[in-house]
Amino acid sequence: MKLRVWWALARGVLLESLRRKDLWVVAILGMIIMAASGALGFFGVEGLQTFAKDLGVTVLGLFSTVIAILTTSRLLPDEIKNRTLYPLLARPISRFDLLAGKLMGAILATWLAFVILLALTSVALLMFGVRFEVIMVQYALLKMVGLGVLCAVTLTLSAFMTPSAAATLSFVVAFGSSMIVRGLTMAYETSSPAMQWFFKFINSILPQFGLFDIGPRVANENWAPVPLWVVGGLLAYGVAYAGGMLLLAWSKFRSQAV
Amino acid sequence: MKTAPIAIGLLAGSGLFASALRSEVEVPKHHAGLNAHETHASATLLGQFRTSVSSWLWLRTDLYLHNGVEMRQLTEAERKRGIAGVGNGEHGQDALHDDSSIVTVVPSKERDFRGVFGDIERATKAYMRMEGHSHNDPKSALPLFRLMTWIDPQFIPGWTTGATVLGRERSDAALDMGIELLKEGLEHNPNSPSILSELGRFYASKKRDFAKALPYLRRAADLPVRADQLDEVEADGLLSAYRWLCLSYRELGRSGDMYRAAQRGLGLFPDDPLLLRCAADTPYIFTEKGQREWIEQSISESEDHEHHGHDHDHGHEHHDHDHDHDHDHGHKH
Amino acid sequence: MQAIVTEDLHVRYRAKNGQNVHAVQGLSFEVNPGEIVGFLGPNGAGKSSTLKCLMGFVQPSAGSCSVFGLAAGSLEAKRRIGYLPEVALYYPYLTPLETLTLYGELQGLRGSRLKRAATDLLEQVGLGQAMNKLNRSLSKGMLQRVGIAQSLLGDPEVLVLDEMTSGLDPIGRKELRELLKARQAQGTTLFFSSHELSEVEMLCDRILLIHQGKLIEERPIQALKDELRQFEITYQGAVSLVDLALEWNELGDNTYRARFSDKQNLLKALDRVQREGRAVVDVVAQEGSLEEFFVETIGRAA
Repeated sequence: MKLRVWWALARGVLLESLRRKDLWVVAILGMIIMAASGALGFFGVEGLQTFAKDLGVTVLGLFSTVIAILTTSRLLPDEIKNRTLYPLLARPISRFDLLAGKLMGAILATWLAFVILLALTSVALLMFGVRFEVIMVQYALLKMVGLGVLCAVTLTLSAFMTPSAAATLSFVVAFGSSMIVRGLTMAYETSSPAMQWFFKFINSILPQFGLFDIGPRVANENWAPVPLWVVGGLLAYGVAYAGGMLLLAWSKFRSQAV
Repeated sequence: MKTAPIAIGLLAGSGLFASALRSEVEVPKHHAGLNAHETHASATLLGQFRTSVSSWLWLRTDLYLHNGVEMRQLTEAERKRGIAGVGNGEHGQDALHDDSSIVTVVPSKERDFRGVFGDIERATKAYMRMEGHSHNDPKSALPLFRLMTWIDPQFIPGWTTGATVLGRERSDAALDMGIELLKEGLEHNPNSPSILSELGRFYASKKRDFAKALPYLRRAADLPVRADQLDEVEADGLLSAYRWLCLSYRELGRSGDMYRAAQRGLGLFPDDPLLLRCAADTPYIFTEKGQREWIEQSISESEDHEHHGHDHDHGHEHHDHDHDHDHDHGHKH
Repeated sequence: MQAIVTEDLHVRYRAKNGQNVHAVQGLSFEVNPGEIVGFLGPNGAGKSSTLKCLMGFVQPSAGSCSVFGLAAGSLEAKRRIGYLPEVALYYPYLTPLETLTLYGELQGLRGSRLKRAATDLLEQVGLGQAMNKLNRSLSKGMLQRVGIAQSLLGDPEVLVLDEMTSGLDPIGRKELRELLKARQAQGTTLFFSSHELSEVEMLCDRILLIHQGKLIEERPIQALKDELRQFEITYQGAVSLVDLALEWNELGDNTYRARFSDKQNLLKALDRVQREGRAVVDVVAQEGSLEEFFVETIGRAA
C-alpha cells in the first residue's frame, strides 16, 4: 500500500525530470566524456587504458554527484514555494510517505542519469580497448547505493535550510567527508583520549561516501572484485543511513506549518 | 526586429575592441624572474587549465606506479612516534622516487580506529600492505608523460621524468626514445637548463658519447642567466649541466676546458664540492688513476644526491602550479 | 454528527519578520452535513489559517477542529475531504490527466476506476479538450479548473475550497456554481472562503464572518437577505407613517415617500393609506447590499 503511494510520487518526480529536460544536461555531460575520450584518441597515445578508466570513474563520480544534489535539493522547497504541496498533503497520506516518495523519485532520476552516463562512458572505454570485468558491475551497484544516500542527505538538509544552502552543504559533505575521515585516521593516534572519542563520534555520524566508490580498484589493474559480505554490508549501511536521514527530515517536516 | 544578429554583432564588436586593447594590458611574454611556464600560465586561461591538467596527470603517475594504492607522507607526529614508512628505499639516479617515509593513505588494520568501516574501506579501495613494496613497470606511466607534455609543453618535469623512465631501460632503442623526447621538449623550452642538462647526461652517462653531450651542456652553461634568477629546478639543472660538462671534458682529455668550465660553474655555484675539486685538482687527477676513480665515484654520488634533490625539485616545480600538493609531492619524487 | 466543528481554535505563528502573529483567536463554529457555508472576512482575517488547520497543514496552538468527529489532518479525516488551495501551481510538466491520476492514486483510487473518474471530472470542469496538454501551457482559469477537479476526486463528503472562483471567468463561475449545487444535492458539504460576495449570496446556505481571527457574525443567508431587504411606497395625500417607516418624507405636490425595513410594516402602511382613501403611486422592494452589510459589520467590529 505504502509502496504504491511512494511509487506514485516517485513517478511524478521522474516524469517531471524527464519532461523538464534535466537529462539534456546529462547528455551534454556524457558528450563531454566522449569528446574527452576522442581527444585522448587524437593524441594517439597507446597504453592509456588505466588512465582512461581512472578518468572515466572520476568524471562519472563527479557528474553523478552534481546531478544527485541538484535534482534533490530543490524538490521539497519547490513544493512549498509553488504550493504544489497543498493538494498532496490534502490526500490521505502521511508526511513521511510524502518525503519517502519524493526521495524515491530523486533517487530514480539520479540513477537514470547515472546509467546514461555509465553507458556513454562504457562506450568510450570500449573504444579504448578496455576489457569488461565483474568489478565494474560492483562499481556501478555501489555507486548507485552511494548516490541514494547522497540524495537522502540532500533531501534532509533541504528540510532544514534553503535549497542553495542545502546544495552547498551537500557538496561539502559529498566531497569532504572522505577527507575528514582521512584527517581523523591520521590524527587519531596522536590525540588525547577525549579527542579520540570525539573522532569516533564524528566518524560514526558522517556519511561514508568514500566507501561506495571502488573506482581506484576498477581503474587499476588486477584488483579482485569486492567480497560479497562487503557489498551486502554497504547495501545495508546505505539503506540504514538513508532511512535515518529520512527520519531526521520527517522529524522536522512532520509538524512544520506549510 | 531580429535581436539575435544585433546581439552577435555587439559581442563580436566588443571582442574586436578587447583585442585592440590587448597589447596595452597583456603581461609581457618574457618577464624577468618568470620562466616560460609561468608567463604562459599567467597570460592565458587556457594555459592555466593546461597547467592544472598536467599537474593532475603528474600526480596520477605516482598513483599508477603503486597500482592505485594512495600513499602519503608520514606526519611529523608519526615520525616522532617512530612509525616507519613502507617504501623500498629505491636509490640511484634512475630511481623514480624515494618512498622510505611514506605510508598508505588508508591505514592498516592495526592502526585504524574505525573498526568495520576501516575493514570495508580496505576491501573497497585499492589497498594492500605496502611494506617494501615494488612499483608497477614505470613504462606503464609513459603514456601519461607523453600526454602531459602534449597538453602542456612547458611542463618541464614531464619531459625530464619521462625521459628518466625511458632511461631506466638500458636498451639503445629506449635510450634513443628518451633522447627524442628530450629534444622535443627542448624545442618547446629552448632555454631550459634542466632539459639541456638531462640531454647531456643521457649522452654522457648512458650512451658514453661525450662529444655529443658537449653541445647541450655547453648550451646550458652559456645561457645568459644568473643562478639566483632561476627557480630551484632550473638552478639544479644548471648545476648538473656544469658537472657533466666538466666530466665530459675530462673524458675527452680536454683538461683546460674542464678547468675553465669548473671555474665558470663556481662563479654561479661557489660552494659545489665537485666543481671545486675539478677546478683545484685538474692537473693532478689526470695523472692518478685512483683519483680518476675517485672523481667518478664523486660524480656518481653527486648524481644520486642531485637526483633526490631533483625529485624534490619536481615538487618545487609543481609548487608553482599547485601549492596544496607541494609538500606531499616534493617528498615523493 | 457535524461535518465540521471548531472549538475555541487558536492559531499562532511566527512571521518572516520574526513577529508572533495570532491569526485565529478562539474561533468556534459548526457546519452541518449537506450545508453550503461561506467563510467571509477581510484580508488577513484568518480564513486561510482556519482552512489550513482543518486540513492539518497547520497545528492549532489551542482548541480543536474536527471533520465528522475525526481529528482534522488525520488520514481518516483527509479521506473524507476534498481541498482546493487558494493559489496552487500544479506540476507544470504534467498534464491535467496525469495530475489527477497522481492525486487519485494518493487518494487510494486505482486502475480503470481512477482513469474514468479523472476523465469524467476533467470533462465536468470543461477541460475535456485540454486534459493532455502540459499544465504549464494552461491559463490561470484552466489551472483553477484542474484544482477544482482534483478536489472532487474520490467523491469527498466535505469540500473545503479556498477562494474557489479565483481566476475563473463568469461562465466558469456559473458552471462551478452548478457543479457545486449538484454536489450538494448529492449530500456533499461545502465550506468555502471567498471575496466574491455575489457568489456567496448565490451559493450559500449560511455565512460565517470573521475579523481579526474572531467570529463576528453567523447568519443563514436567507435570513440575512430578508433582513437587508427594504420596501418603499410612494402615495398622494397626507397620511402619517412615521411610526411604521424608517424614513418618511414629502416629495412635493402632496406626494409622500416612506421606506420600511420589513414587510409587516409595509403591509400596515399600505392598509393605512388605502383606509384613508389615498392613492398609492408606487411600491418598490429593494434587495439589500451584502457588501454594505459586510463593510458595516467589519467596521463595527474593528
